Amino acid sequence: MHPILVLFVKGVLLFTRNKAAVLITFLVPVVMIALFGFVFGLYKNIDKGPGGIPLAVVNLSHEPAATDLVEALKQEKTFRVIAETSNADGSKRPLTEANVRAGLHDNQYRFALILPVDMIPEDSFGIHLKFLSDPRNEIETQTVNGILQKTIFSRVPQLLGQSLQQRSKKLLGDARFESFNRTMANTVASTYGGDPEELYQQMIAGDFGFSALTSSPSAESAGKTKSSDASDIFSRIARIETEQVAGKQVSNPMASRLVGGYAVMFLLFALSGSATSLFEEKRSGIFQRVLSAPVRLSHILWARFLFGVALATLQLIALFLAGKVLFGIELFSHAGPLLVLIVSVGAACTAFGMLLAAVSSSHEMAMGLANLIVLVMCAVGGAWFPVSMMPAFIQHFSKLTIVYWAVEGFTSVLWAGQSLMEILPTIGILVGVAVVVMAVATVCFKRSAMFD
Amino acid sequence: MLSLRSVTKRYGSLTALDGVSLDIAPGEFFGLLGPNGAGKSTLMSLSAGLRAPDSGEVTLGGVALEKTDLVARRMLGLVPQTIALYTDLTAEQNLRIFGQLYGLNGPELQTRIDDALESVQLADRRHSAVKTFSGGMQRRLNLVASLLHRPKFLLCDEPTVGIDPQSRNAIFDYLEKLNREGLTIIYSTHYMEEAARLCSRIGVIDHGKILALGSLDELLTRLPFEDEITFPETPATAKFATQLKTHGQLDTANGTHRFRPQTGYPLSSFFAAAEQAGVPTRLFEIQRPTLEAVFLHLTGRKLRD
Repeated sequence: MHPILVLFVKGVLLFTRNKAAVLITFLVPVVMIALFGFVFGLYKNIDKGPGGIPLAVVNLSHEPAATDLVEALKQEKTFRVIAETSNADGSKRPLTEANVRAGLHDNQYRFALILPVDMIPEDSFGIHLKFLSDPRNEIETQTVNGILQKTIFSRVPQLLGQSLQQRSKKLLGDARFESFNRTMANTVASTYGGDPEELYQQMIAGDFGFSALTSSPSAESAGKTKSSDASDIFSRIARIETEQVAGKQVSNPMASRLVGGYAVMFLLFALSGSATSLFEEKRSGIFQRVLSAPVRLSHILWARFLFGVALATLQLIALFLAGKVLFGIELFSHAGPLLVLIVSVGAACTAFGMLLAAVSSSHEMAMGLANLIVLVMCAVGGAWFPVSMMPAFIQHFSKLTIVYWAVEGFTSVLWAGQSLMEILPTIGILVGVAVVVMAVATVCFKRSAMFD
Repeated sequence: MLSLRSVTKRYGSLTALDGVSLDIAPGEFFGLLGPNGAGKSTLMSLSAGLRAPDSGEVTLGGVALEKTDLVARRMLGLVPQTIALYTDLTAEQNLRIFGQLYGLNGPELQTRIDDALESVQLADRRHSAVKTFSGGMQRRLNLVASLLHRPKFLLCDEPTVGIDPQSRNAIFDYLEKLNREGLTIIYSTHYMEEAARLCSRIGVIDHGKILALGSLDELLTRLPFEDEITFPETPATAKFATQLKTHGQLDTANGTHRFRPQTGYPLSSFFAAAEQAGVPTRLFEIQRPTLEAVFLHLTGRKLRD
C-alpha cells in the first residue's frame, strides 16, 4: 500500500475514533444551520407564531379613513399592531397616548403611531399623524419608517379627499357646501350616468373615486372593495414590467444562499482545526517515526490534503442534504455540477487550513489565526449577507476570499441552475487557489520546524 | 556498518554536533552517554536520515545516507524519545499503520504484529486504545513499532524516559535478547546505569563532541584511580583524611569523605595507615568507579548538572 494511502486511512481511522470530532464536523453545523433557518424564517411548513415588529397604534380619530389606515397596518407582515391593553379584570381597552409612552419606556415596543382627533384638520389641508419611537436599533427603525410611509401613502388619496371636503365646508358654509356638492353630483350623473343621490353621499364622505387607484383589478372583479397593498397605486402611476430571469424554479431562494454561505464557514473552521492537529503529531514525535520510514514529507502533506478534501466533501454533502430536508433546497437536479463544485471548494479550504498550520508556530497560534481569518473571509466574502450590500471598496476584497467564490459557485448552481460548463470559471479559480495555496504551504512547511 | 565522518550540525549559532567521527559495527550494542543537550538526539536523527549534516558524512554499509534515501531507511528502526504512537488508535492499528509504511501487508504483516505484541506482553490488549495503556506499556509498544520491518540497526533515543523500574527492566531484557539475535543497537541515554548494563561500547558525548569511546572497562582505565573508598566524616577520621591527601584525591561532602587513591598506592597501604591512625576498617566502603566518575573526570562536572 502506498504511504499516501496508508496515511490517508490513518487519518480516517483517527477521525472516526474521535466521536467529538465527528459530532463537531457533522452534527453541530447541521444543528446550527437548522437554528439559522428558524432565525431567518426559512421553514415553510412550520407555524412561526406571532411575528413582525411590535407597533402600538392609538386611534383617536373618528374619520373612516383612520380606521381604514389601522386595518391597512394590520395587514402589513412587517408589523404586529398592538391597539389594545388589558385591564386588571382581563378585559381589553383601547391604548391611550399615556399607555403608549409608558410602553415605550418599558421597552414593550419601540414604535407607536398616534392618529389624533385632528388627524384631518378643519383649518388646513392635509393629514396629521404622530410617530413615537425608541430608535435603539437603526436598521429596525429605518425598516419601520419605510413600511409606515408606504402604508400611509397608500391611504393618502382617501384621507386627502376627506380633508378637502372638511376644508370646503368650513370655507363655503353649510348651505353653499351642500349646494356645490349637489350640483357636482347632478352634473356627473347627467354626463356619466349614475344615481345623483348616491354620488352626492360619496362626495360629502370625501370619496372622489380615488379608491380605484388603490384597489387591485382582481379585488374589484372578485367584488372586494379595497386592497391594502400600497404598491398598486404606484404601479398604476408608473408601470414597471418585471421579469425574474434566474431562480424561477428555486423553491426556497433564501435557504439556497444561506446554506451555501454557512456551509463554507463551518468547513473552513473544521479544516483549520484538522490541519492544526499536525502540531499534536509533531509534539508526540510521530513525524520523526513516520519520516524515519520510507516516507517523504510530500507523502504526509498529500495524505493530509486528500483527507481534508474527503472530509470537506462529506461535510458539505451532509450540510446540503440537511438543507434539502429542512428547507426544501433542490439538490438532485444539480447533482453533477454541485459535486464538482463541492470538491473544488473542499480543496481550496483544505489548502487554506494547511497554509495556516504551515505559517503558525503553535496550535494556539494557528487556531487564533483561523478564527480571525475565517470570520473576516466569511463577512467580506458574502457568507452571511450578499456582497452587493457591502461598500464598493469591500467588494474588491471580497473577490480575494475563498468564501466569495464558493458562495458564488453555490448560488450559480442552486439559484441560477447553471451547468458544469457555465461554472467552470468559478471551479477553475477555486482549484487554482487550492494549487497555489498548497504550493506555498509546502514551501512554508519545508522551512518550518514542523517536521524537524 | 554505520559510520559518521567529521559530522557537524548547527542550529543557528548553536553547534549541536562538532566534527563527530564514529563507527558502529554490526551486532554492537553501542551506548551514547551524555547529559541533556549534549547532542545525542541530533546524532540519532542524523543516523536515521531525518536530517542532513552541515558537513561530514553519515554512511550505512559504506553508502552515504541521504535525507531522501528511502531504501536505506528500511535497514533502520527509530525509537523516538516520545511516545510516537496514535494514542486514540488501538495497539494493533498502530502496528498495522507503521508496518504498512514499510511496505508490509497481508498475512506476513499480521504474523509480525502478533509476534511483536506477544514479545512485549501486549497481545491481550491488542484491541485497546493506546491512551488506556500505562506508561510502561506505551513504551514497550513504542519499541516494537520500530521493529516490525526487522531493521538491521535500531536507534533508541532515550527509550525508557519516565517509566517504572519493572517496565525498564523488561525493555532492557528485550533489547538484550534482540542484540543477542544479531540486531545492532545504538542506544542514547543520560542514565549511566543503563549504559553500563546494556552497552558493549560507550561513547561519552558533551557539547556536540565525543569525549571518550570504548567499553566500560576501557573508559574506567582513563581514570587516574582504580577504586573509590568512602568513609564518614567524623572527628575520629579527620586527621586520617588529611593524611590521605598526599596519596590521592579526597573530596568531602554531605558528611562523607570520598578518597580516590592514585595509581601505585595499594589498598594494603591504605588499610595499614588506617590501622595506624586508629580508624576501624568497618567504616570503609570500597567501590568500583562509575561512568559518572568518568564523565566528571572528562568534563569537570556531573552527568546530571
